[in-house]
Formats: sequence, C-alpha cells, structure tokens
Amino acid sequence: MGKKELKVAFLLALRSLQRGSRSSVILTILIIGMCFTNMIFLPGLFNGIGQSITKQVVDYEIGNVLVSPKTGGQYVGDVGATLDLINGMPGVQRATPHFTKGATLKYRQRILGASVRAISPNDEKLISPLYTKMIAGSYLGQDDTGEVIIGKPVAGDASIRQEDEFQSSLGGVRVGDSISIDYGNGYVKDYRVKGIFFTGWSQADSAVYTTSTDMALADPRSLDNADYITVKAKSGYSETFIKNELIQYGVSEKVQTTSDLLAKSMGRALQSFAIINMVSLIVSIIITTVVLFIVITIKTINSRRQIGILKAIGVDKEVIMHNYGFQVIILGVLGIILGIIVTLGLAAYMAIHPVVTPEWSATLYITPMDLLINSVILFCAAVVAGYVPAYQVSREDIQTAMRA
Amino acid sequence: MITIGDLQKIYRMGDVEVRALDGVTLDIAKGEFLGIMGASGSGKTTLLHMLGLLDIPTSGSIVIDGTDVSQLNDYEKTMFRLYKFGYVFQDYALVPDLTVMENVSLPAMLRKDRTEEQYHDASIDILTKIGMLDRQDHLPRELSGGQQQRVSIARAIVNKPDILFADEPCANLDTENSRMVLDLFRDINEEMQQTIVMVSHEDWHKDYFHRIISLQDGKVISDGTTGTKH
Repeated sequence: MGKKELKVAFLLALRSLQRGSRSSVILTILIIGMCFTNMIFLPGLFNGIGQSITKQVVDYEIGNVLVSPKTGGQYVGDVGATLDLINGMPGVQRATPHFTKGATLKYRQRILGASVRAISPNDEKLISPLYTKMIAGSYLGQDDTGEVIIGKPVAGDASIRQEDEFQSSLGGVRVGDSISIDYGNGYVKDYRVKGIFFTGWSQADSAVYTTSTDMALADPRSLDNADYITVKAKSGYSETFIKNELIQYGVSEKVQTTSDLLAKSMGRALQSFAIINMVSLIVSIIITTVVLFIVITIKTINSRRQIGILKAIGVDKEVIMHNYGFQVIILGVLGIILGIIVTLGLAAYMAIHPVVTPEWSATLYITPMDLLINSVILFCAAVVAGYVPAYQVSREDIQTAMRA
Repeated sequence: MITIGDLQKIYRMGDVEVRALDGVTLDIAKGEFLGIMGASGSGKTTLLHMLGLLDIPTSGSIVIDGTDVSQLNDYEKTMFRLYKFGYVFQDYALVPDLTVMENVSLPAMLRKDRTEEQYHDASIDILTKIGMLDRQDHLPRELSGGQQQRVSIARAIVNKPDILFADEPCANLDTENSRMVLDLFRDINEEMQQTIVMVSHEDWHKDYFHRIISLQDGKVISDGTTGTKH
C-alpha cells in the first residue's frame, strides 16, 4: 500500500463524508461523542467524590498525618512533649491534639446524642478550614470557656417538626442560645452557642466543638492526653516524608498518612467504584463499536455496486477498505473531540455547581491522562468497528458487487 | 492484441446449467472498433466482462498482449485493469461524491507512473476534448445523462488505455446523446488508434463499428467487418 493509494483512499473517505448524508455524519459524531462522555463521566465523578472525601477527611478529620495511640493504648499520652517535638520538625505546618467525648445535648425539650470535640482553636486554624465555615455567630477563641460551636444539622431548624426531621437535631438552636451538655460522667454544664458552622462533611457537621480548656473541666484526662494528633504538612512536603520524619524523630505512637487510612477505610468503596467504572467503560465501548459497525456496514451495503465499479476501473481492494477505514477514523476523531469538549464543559460547570449530597460534594475530576487513555481506547474500538465491514466488502468479487 | 480460445462460462442454478458463453473463439486487433451485438441474454455482457477481467471463465483462454490472464492473481488483474483497460458502463457509474474532475482523475491518481501534475493536465485535456471543462467542479447529480456518460468516457480514457470496454453505453440515452457518445468513441478510435470493444443491441450503432460479432445463446453466429474504415 503506497502513498498514492492511501491518498486516494483518504480522498474518497473525505468526499463521502463531505458530500454524503450530512445528518448521518452528524448523528454518528454525536453518538461517539456521547459514548466518550459516558466513558469518562462516571469515573470522573467517582474520582471527584474520592478527591472530595479525601479533602474533607484531611480538612476536618486527620490532616495529612495522624498520630494515634499504639495498639492497645487508649490515648496518645504526653501530648505536650509530643506536640513540641512534632511542631519543631521541618515540613510540619502545625500539629494539634483532638480529644473527643460522647455526650448528650439538651435544648428545651430536645435531647440529642453527639460527639464533643475538644480543640485548640488557634492551632486548629492552621490545620482545618473549619473557622471559615461559620454560617452564624463566630469561631471559638483560644481561651473561650462556657462556649461551643455546633454543626448546622445539630442546631436544626425550628420550622421543621421533630417527627418530620430526616436527622435528629436540637430543633432550631440559634447563636446565643444556651444548651446543656451531659458528658455521662456526672459532669453537666450549660454552654452558650457561639457559632453554627456547616462544612458539608457530615461527621464534622454532626459534632460540637469546644476548647481544650473547657474539656479539661469535663474530663481531666484531656489535659495531657489526646485521642489523636493531626499533623498538617507544609506545602511541598509529602505525607510520606512527614510520616517517616515522625518515626525517625522517635514518635512512638502509631503514625499513618491520609492515604494509609483511606486505603483501609475506603478500600472496598474504591473497589466498587473501579468495578462500576469498568462496566461503564465496557458498555460505552460496546455501544460505540456496534454503532460504528452498523453505520459502516449500512454504508458498504448501500455502496456495493459503487465498490464493484471502483474495483472494475482498477481501484485496489486495499484502497476501498482504507476508504471506509479513513471514514471511521475521521468520524471517531471528530466524535472524540466533541466528547472532550462536552466533558470539559461539564467539568467546568460542575466546578461551579458541584454535586452535593448529605455526605459529600463532588466535582468532575478528570486528568489529561484520563482523556488520553479514553481517547485511545475509543479510537481503537472505532477503527476495529469500521475496518471489519470494510474488509468484508472489499473482498467481495466484482460481479457480485456490481449486481447489488 | 486479444486472442480468445474456446471460452466458456457456465452458470449453475440448482440442477439447471446455463451456458452463457459456449466456445467463443476470436481475435481482436489493435485499433479495432468492435461491436458485440445480439439479443438480450445472448452472452454479450458476459463476454465483455470476461475480456475486461471482471469475471472468470469456466474454461478457455484469454491472452492479451501475450499475457495469459488466467495466470494473474487478484492484485495483478486489478493492476491490469488500471493500466491497460478503460470501462464505460450503461449507467455511467460515476462516484456520486466526487466532482467531474475528481471522477476523471481517479484512475490516473492511482498510477505509479503519473505525477499529480501529469494526471491533472491529462484530465484537463480530456475534459476539454469532451466539452465538459466548464463543468469540472460539478457533481454527477448536477449533470444530464449524456453529460454523465461523457464524463464516464473521459474517466475511461484518461489513462490512455490499450483497450476501452463499453457495455451498452447508450442504453440510457436518447438518440441525440447516443449519437454524441458514439461520435466521441469514433473520434477517440480514429485520433488515438484506441481499441474499443462495445456491446450494443441497437441496429443503427452498426454504422460506427469496424467489425461486428453477433452472439446467440453464448455462441458467435456471425463475425464480419462493416464498411467502416479501420
């Protein structure tokens, strides 16, 4: 197959698309474009959910590295010294302890079980964007006592009757209201609600935050103990680097990166996502292959006499086969370009309007590599779908083709 | 130029055997304008297709310029058709998505011994000769039947083939356009010494042929020259 033959095959393909049925061409490109979008949308959404969950876990739960009690231990002990050690390490932006205690909240006639998280407000600001998520009132001050901030779902809505609530709440607490917290160890105290926040991360939004100073009154063990210490890395430092550094510096508690923890906790979910992605990918490829196969088969069936004539005047069967091959390549490339445009448009739209659920909010997370891999897969499927009928019809003998 | 020996083509339809060609033997000389005539079903088109390597005989031999074409493989036959033959079909058989110029240039584009400039110039020359240069950018559907057939003839001779095969080229044309096409064939034959083998069943076409063979039931029943100069 020489250059001249390929040139003629390409000319025939191009002219057929330019001057043939325009609606058929547009429809085929649309179908390929939509198949491409389908191939990449679902995995992109799952990746977006994964990214969103990871970000929220980092922001509101564990930072980049989590220092938790050794196996068998209840608390991270000697918190003061451990914090001094960690905060002095290169690459660490800040480390801060969390001490969480189950409690019962009371507001008017409402009673609600919730976790009360004790934080060091100033340090927490360097680790979590919680302070930016206040929707009413203000964030905790470092030395606040007798004040808490609560999540929006905990505060509730006074306009919704208790029996109609999807999630139990205190029924419409407002900033400045007083709520009673019973820690279950005999310590009960009334707190003024200083602020109400909403992060979008359900575990944080279902919690009540108080200062370490206040928690020390409720549970003196929190003075030098923590459930865990969250460590935030400075920009440019990897989680693994920080983890290794902590171990090297002699932190004897359990040290895990976000990735370590998510791999365990989300492993099954990620596996499920991967299976759904694979099914979606296979379905899209099958649809594209079948559609292109049908389109090219119909084209070849309708052109059998013309194919016979071309062969009669000395056009080689390879040229005829590549003619249809080029048609499907052109359709495939245009469909993929359309698919990329649609996908990027959706990604841009969802960046502004993410999919928000009670558990997470997600954008479409697509990398250039995702686009490239899916383009190559779809292109290969298109080529196979086009060349099979083209190969068959190009082998038909002239008499049979001309009689068609 | 062409020597045909005891050519047979037998079609089998169940238990029935149809002898489309039954022992045809003849020679065709270079520069000859040969008419193949006969009633419908006499085997005219079958013979033309055998000569043009569009079909395979059941038995017998076809030797063209010393080449026994039965020995050629599929690709060699294709190249034989491209380099040595030109075809004109009853229904013009132009590629509907190509312009007049592209249709005429198509066989020349594939020839390895032609540059782009050469085949372009050749196409211009032919289109000028048949009076279709001003329609070079038109699509076949924008032309009348007579014009399409002229373009089809231009495509057939653009490669200056050794032999031009025409299968009832006037069947779909009125008398005026038929005469125009036949005049064109005669000009090509006289000016370029082009060998032409044409199938026809119109009696008045005889005036254009040098020689006429008549077929009946797949057999040559007459073979004779006409008064036309060769």
